[in-house]
Amino acid sequence: MIASLWHDLVRSFLAGSFWYQVAFLCFALGTVIPAALVALSRNIVHSALWLLPCLASTAGLYLLLGAELLAAIQILVYCGGIVVLILFVIMLTHGVGHPDVRVHNQQLAWGLVAAMALAGILLHLLRGEPWHVALSWAPPSDVTARLADALLRPYVLAFEVASVILLAAMIGAIVIARAERSE
Amino acid sequence: MSGPPPIPIQPYLLVSGLLFAIGVLAVLTRRNAIAVLMGIELMLNAANINFVAFWRYGGGRQMEGQVFAVMVITMAAAEAAVALAIILNVYRRFKTVNVDQINLMKG
Repeated sequence: MIASLWHDLVRSFLAGSFWYQVAFLCFALGTVIPAALVALSRNIVHSALWLLPCLASTAGLYLLLGAELLAAIQILVYCGGIVVLILFVIMLTHGVGHPDVRVHNQQLAWGLVAAMALAGILLHLLRGEPWHVALSWAPPSDVTARLADALLRPYVLAFEVASVILLAAMIGAIVIARAERSE
Repeated sequence: MSGPPPIPIQPYLLVSGLLFAIGVLAVLTRRNAIAVLMGIELMLNAANINFVAFWRYGGGRQMEGQVFAVMVITMAAAEAAVALAIILNVYRRFKTVNVDQINLMKG
């Protein structure tokens, strides 16, 4: 099953334009391989650093899909914000970088089985579906302007709620992480 | 550029599915709470790739896919900030961030 899926995928993939395929392959491998290293690396600092190429390649995939603003947001928020935050917390919690510390719990084998089963099911579904997609690849013009339009007209409520949630998360994080007073 | 898409949608969905499975693997098997959080970030990214791919291959005129992706990134930032604050507090109390050693309520 996997072999025939692979055959279908490769054949339909090769029908496309060359440099797009090359760029897609680079970004796809740059997303999946660092992600696997994030999950399996023995050193937690290495895991956090492998997150950087993974997220940057995801931004590259967004660029290939024509979502430039999302790619910029991805770089700014994920690579610039979240990874730095994760590295800070790793350095504030010591004793986790020792090489002799076990990094996986005792369910590693079952976790591998579950993840592979999930991947297999997803690949099977991916193959069974015809995926009726648009036939023309007409470039959507002024994507960023239309995204801003969508965020501030039909989805303005979600936009405002998201900003309130960000404020609440900021205050909550400060309150939770503040050092406890002794009295 | 107005011809057929340069590649079909399936490779994007394949990358997204593999990324999601890797995120599940990290969440299920890592002991460090920070690594579990990284696995969650991987899964959110997989969902985002799907949103953007379906936005583009659905014609690119309806902006809902990108709006969803923006919201997911916002929620991921908020969630990471609160989760890391909680992890810091847990570390202060238990002197560990390994999720299998934080078993105060285990009977």
